[in-house]
Amino acid sequence: MKNYDQITEEIRKIAKKILNDKTVDKVIGFGLGTINQEITPLFISKAEGAKKLVFNKNSHMSLAKYLLNYKNEDVAIVAKPCDSRAINTYLSEKIINRNDIKVIGIQGCPGIEGNTACLECEVRNAVISDYDVGEKISKKKTNQLKEEKDFDSLSPEERFKYFRNEFERCTRCYACREACYVCYCKECFTESNQPEWLNKSVSLNENFTYHLMRAMHMAGRCVNCGACELACPEGIDVRALAAKMYNTATEIFDYKVGMDQKQKTLLAEYDVHDSEKGFME
Amino acid sequence: MMIKKADQESILKLLNNLKNDYNIAAPVLLKKGKKEIVEYVFIDDLNDIYLDRQPDSSPKNIVFPQNSAIGKDYSGDKLYDPEKKTILWGVRSCDIEAIKTIDQVFIEDEMYTDQSYKANRDKTIIVGLSCEEREKNCFCDALGFNPIESDYAPIYLFIKEDQYYIKIKEKEYESLFSSLFDGDQTELNELLKLREKDFNSSEFEIDIPIPLPEKDIFEAEIWDEMSEKCLSCGVCTYYCPTCYCFNFFWDGNDHDSTRYKNWDSCMFTTYSAHASGHNPRDSKDKRYRNRIMHKFSYHPFNYEGLGCVGCGRCISRCPVNLDIREALKLTEKYLQTKGGAKKDG
Repeated sequence: MKNYDQITEEIRKIAKKILNDKTVDKVIGFGLGTINQEITPLFISKAEGAKKLVFNKNSHMSLAKYLLNYKNEDVAIVAKPCDSRAINTYLSEKIINRNDIKVIGIQGCPGIEGNTACLECEVRNAVISDYDVGEKISKKKTNQLKEEKDFDSLSPEERFKYFRNEFERCTRCYACREACYVCYCKECFTESNQPEWLNKSVSLNENFTYHLMRAMHMAGRCVNCGACELACPEGIDVRALAAKMYNTATEIFDYKVGMDQKQKTLLAEYDVHDSEKGFME
Repeated sequence: MMIKKADQESILKLLNNLKNDYNIAAPVLLKKGKKEIVEYVFIDDLNDIYLDRQPDSSPKNIVFPQNSAIGKDYSGDKLYDPEKKTILWGVRSCDIEAIKTIDQVFIEDEMYTDQSYKANRDKTIIVGLSCEEREKNCFCDALGFNPIESDYAPIYLFIKEDQYYIKIKEKEYESLFSSLFDGDQTELNELLKLREKDFNSSEFEIDIPIPLPEKDIFEAEIWDEMSEKCLSCGVCTYYCPTCYCFNFFWDGNDHDSTRYKNWDSCMFTTYSAHASGHNPRDSKDKRYRNRIMHKFSYHPFNYEGLGCVGCGRCISRCPVNLDIREALKLTEKYLQTKGGAKKDG
């Protein structure tokens, strides 16, 4: 497995080359932010700027969403394994064109500090890539979540208590939604006023409605990248519900989102042999 | 003016007595998931007061809560007694100036006074806290504010190790501190002089005309570049001590409902959406432009002072590290190269 500095070097080399030979007009990657060691999304359009690209332990943002700002433009994007699955999902949902994008895929991702999602990562290698950086490593199947927080073994009251404690401090700044690649709807249910699914008050009721409804939209689409949790300014365990959806999709349908660009999303495909666990029995 | 001097223990004893007649709101270190966050809350145990660093959230939630029922007292907290006044303890210069900014809009505006905000503010006594050193991302002095003392607080704390010097500028508050020993004015002046000398000035410097000349930069091509990485979440505005935009909504059923006022954010896509479906700020560059222009052009134009106090919270709490200082630098560069209006011009 290559380290952050080696991967950084490789990213810079590739970015410089593809900007120089005009393969792409822009490279979306990570750069150093203004806060010590903090990382910020970087958009490079000149080959000289490639040296500003960085990949370090804090590169937690999911850059895939920025692709939506450059539809029909030739862009390259630095993708961690989780982001590569997000890109595949965009391709399968046909909201971006394969021909427009070049993926600089991180193989053997060393992980992101403080992101518990990395401990559960099932791919470790970018699943779509035009230019590989790093070095492929063997998949390691882990399921840390079940060991860490086994919600299934908790009583409904205990679960409610846990999530009440978390969602109580939500200010509904929607950083989790905006950081999430799944949330690209032009109008989110939170903003709809006809019907008004939830009002603007920041109360436990409304906060629960927001998080539960958002979780429902995550089934079969969440790639379990942890960007939501790391974006939250209040340190809320935002990922827990989405991860539950992710694991449920695996458990019932043996479905893993974003492994291939041609793969249909979970709810876009129906098979008569699909398990109907919890629905019709 | 009166100067008092006390040690930590006597201060806690004093606050403990004041607690009987006042609500006390102060910065407290809270464990939130994996994060440790300092924010202003109403407190009971005075040992919880945490003044070691700039709070991560501003005291805006105390003077202007995120949700408040119109025509009813602020009642979001068990420890808040609406019959009592509130002592807002240990507020740094940036946050005091921010409260001043909100006061300008909700109280001092000639056209309109927000009665519920005013009622809440009339009950709030701000006790300032002098900054000892620069925090990670703040730049209040680059905008012309004084981190060591703001004139807008009637009471000010200067802490040196375990010693508190308390400056009481308004007579009506002198009785609150009568149990403490008198302090020496020259001693405090010495401390202030030393503090001013030692305070490392901001690395960030900015030279832009205030108010920013709207006609010169409104259509400039800088906004796209500035906001390229913006996620359009509400973090910068919610944690901003001066952002005061709000919205209304009804809550209840057919028989009983309450009108609420709650924070809004100009970063949200629906912020300026019209009923017709038209939205004059339909993209994030236009929304980010509004944020910068409101703080550095519209507010200074309509009121005296700035709409930004340089606390740096929008920088440290932004999920993508979008830095307002970089935005200002870009504006400065644009105005200089395009030969825009000169300072005070």
